[in-house]
Formats: sequence, structure tokens, C-alpha cells
Amino acid sequence: MNKRALLLIGSPKPASSTSEAVGDYLLDKLRQYDIEGEKIKLIQILKQEDGINELISAINNCDILILSSPLYLDSAPAIVTKAMELISNDRIAREHIKRPIMLAICNSGFPEAHQNHTALSIYRHFANASSFEWAGGLALGGGGSIDSRPINSLGGMVRNVVKSLDLTASAIADGKHIPEEAIKLMAKPFVPHWLYFIFGQFGWRIQAKKYGAQKNLNDRPYEVN
Amino acid sequence: MQVLLLNGSSKDDAFSQQLCDIFVNELEKHDNKVEVIELCDTRIESCLGCFGCWVKTPGICVINDAGRDLAKSVVQSDLVISVSLVTFGGYSYEVKKALDRLIPIISPFFKKINGEVHHKPRYKRYPKVISIGTLTENKQELIDTFQYLVKRNAINMHSPVYLSRVFLNNEAAQGLGQEVFEVLKEAGAVK
Ligand SMILES: Cc1cc2nc3c(=O)[nH]c(=O)nc-3n(C[C@H](O)[C@H](O)[C@H](O)COP(=O)(O)O)c2cc1C
Repeated sequence: MNKRALLLIGSPKPASSTSEAVGDYLLDKLRQYDIEGEKIKLIQILKQEDGINELISAINNCDILILSSPLYLDSAPAIVTKAMELISNDRIAREHIKRPIMLAICNSGFPEAHQNHTALSIYRHFANASSFEWAGGLALGGGGSIDSRPINSLGGMVRNVVKSLDLTASAIADGKHIPEEAIKLMAKPFVPHWLYFIFGQFGWRIQAKKYGAQKNLNDRPYEVN
Repeated sequence: MQVLLLNGSSKDDAFSQQLCDIFVNELEKHDNKVEVIELCDTRIESCLGCFGCWVKTPGICVINDAGRDLAKSVVQSDLVISVSLVTFGGYSYEVKKALDRLIPIISPFFKKINGEVHHKPRYKRYPKVISIGTLTENKQELIDTFQYLVKRNAINMHSPVYLSRVFLNNEAAQGLGQEVFEVLKEAGAVK
């Protein structure tokens, strides 16, 4: 029987997200190694009445668990925390469970990949506490540059992301952990810092203009004098 | 001092509740004004990740619920204390849900802090922070991750002072009082 990979998307964005774009690429790669892939968006499934049971049964059926999530306040977004608490409680209560491998991809807004390290530690602790075999984590800085777009459509900008995910897929398909080289490639910045600052300065203004809020970006609605 | 206490204890977590009570008692004894938010009884939706609080209604979350009042209270406090079960080295869901709703209080624009990119402050001043974690087992790895997380959050949220303590669920009540007093003293809330 083919191995099964389950991709959990931790971004609360209802439509597309950078987490999903990166996770989709990895799942597609794994399919090339005859690994079956399933994807679940945590924000959607946990809203459904029987969602938690559906999520848990998908986890119990998988051999490879992939969590792809944005960085929220140096850690997991609330929805991912909720999922981890529920999954872990369920696994601790069960006597006979499989021990799938688990890997995590964390993408941050800030360009330095290392800002994701606290979140990746949290995911590792979760794996250890919940009978998953921790296969490592990939930290991606400047996730906004991907901006929820499919990785294959982004050309040279994401060459290191692509190489990293290709290496990861091949290792995981082989039953190995994420290779060091893949971790290093994923952590390489897309753009120099100064360019990031310029994008940031203009990017927020352009977005605010759509709502006529470009003059209010520095408002302090809760200030007391 | 104006103090905001985020009580992240769940109904079956008597220990965290007891800790919160000790904090409130000690603070009130020393003439602080304390606002308590019981997170498990307060409806706060999860952040949608839309950045509307930066580009649509700058400084105010697009979700009109108690998450807005929370952000306002944080800005208007001198000290914010959170009490959370340490889950996998991070905050529990109830507490994280509240914390994620605080990004309206920082600016979308960037600045460098210690050579790293972070967001600029939106306000002129921010509260001091005490982050309390509770654990049932003494696992140093989890304590280290939690304390590092509190430190990283303090950079992003421009906290002028940040303190973190992790209490083990079986600590005697008597010792707790002293430890609570010490940490409040360090934050300047009691003398
Ligand atoms: C509530 C909230 C908190 C965030 N905290 C951080 C942070 O601490 N560090 C960081 O680099 N980016 C932070 N970000 C930015 C996201 O990680 C970034 O936009 C990411 O690329 C979103 O990925 P997604 O499209 O998969 O949701 C935060 C965003 C939100 C909405």
C-alpha cells in the first residue's frame, strides 16, 4: 500500500495563503514518489460540527504529517494551538496508535528565517508529546513575498524554496528526516533587507489606499492623553 | 498602576485560577486598579490574518467583539499579566487567541531592533508584561521555550519590561504568595 501524507494548513486566511502554497508544492512532490496526499485547512475543519473527529481520523490514517503554518507572535497561530491541544489529548488517551513522522514548515512576515525558531520548537515539543516522530522543521522568512501564489508560478525568486522542498520530499519519501541542506536553503533570504524595507513602506500604503485609509496608517485610536 | 490580568485558566484548572486570585489580592492590597478578563468566559474570535487592522481601519481590528476591548485595555494599562497553561512550550489556545488579536496596537511599518526587522510601535508607550505559565510536570525544555517566547514577544510588542515565571501545578500555596509578590515587586506594582 502507498504511504499517505496529510498536509495541515495552519493559516487562518480563508482562501489562499503562503502556508498553503508552500505545502501544496511539497505534497505534489511527494505524489511523484507515489505518496498519496490529503490536505486539511485547520480553520475550516475545526468550524465543522464533527470536524475534530474527521481531523483525528485523517491523522490516524497517515504515515507522514506535514504542518505548514504562518508565524503569529513568534509562535503558532491560535487555530494551530487549538488543533495541537485537541490532537495531543486524543493521542495520549489512545492505547494503540501509529507513530507517523511529522515535519513542520513555518513562514514568517519578517525576512529572517530564524524568527520562526520558537514556533518550530513548539511544533517539536508537540510531536514529542503526541507520539509523532519529529522529522524536522523548515523556517521560511519573508513569506509575504510569496503572497499566497503557487510556488511554480514564481520563477527564480523561489529557487531556493524549490530546491529545499525537492530535497525534503526525496528524503521523506525515503523514510528519512529533513536534510540539513534543505533547512539551509529554505532559510536563505529572497531579497536584501533594504529592499524589504522599501517594499514594506510602499506596500502597506498601497493596500491602505484601496480603503481610503492611507492617511490613517499611524492612527492611535486607543491613546489616552 | 492600571493592571490588566488575562486569566487563561480553564474550568478544570483550579491551580491557575488560584494563582490569578493571589495576583489580584496582592495587587489590590497595594492600591493597584485591576481589570480581569476571564478568557474562557469571553467571546474572542481568532485573528483572521487579514491585516485589516493595519490597512482598512488602522489600529482597530475588523472583528467587532471583545478582542477590540482587549486591545484597548492593553494599550491603556501599565502592566499586563497573563496566566496560561504552558502547552508545548507556548501559550494555551485561550491565551493565544487573545494575544493574536493584539497586532492592531503595533504599526505595519518596519524598524530594526538588534539587527532584526520588527514592526514600529504605534503608541508612545506600552505596558510592562508578566507572563505566567503553569505546568503539571517539571520539563525544562518546555520552560526554556516558554521563557524564550516571552522574550521574543516583548521585542515585537515593545514591552518596556518583561518577566516570565513558570509555576508547577503542585507548588504549595504558601510559596506561591511569596513568588507572586516577588515578581510584582520586580515589575514595580508592589513595594
Ligand atoms: C496576528 C499576527 C501575528 C504575526 N506575528 C508575526 C511575527 O511574530 N513574526 C513575523 O515575522 N511575522 C508575523 N506575522 C506575519 C505572518 O507570519 C506573515 O504574514 C505570513 O507570511 C502569513 O502567512 P500565511 O499567508 O500562510 O498566513 C503575523 C501576522 C499576524 C496576522
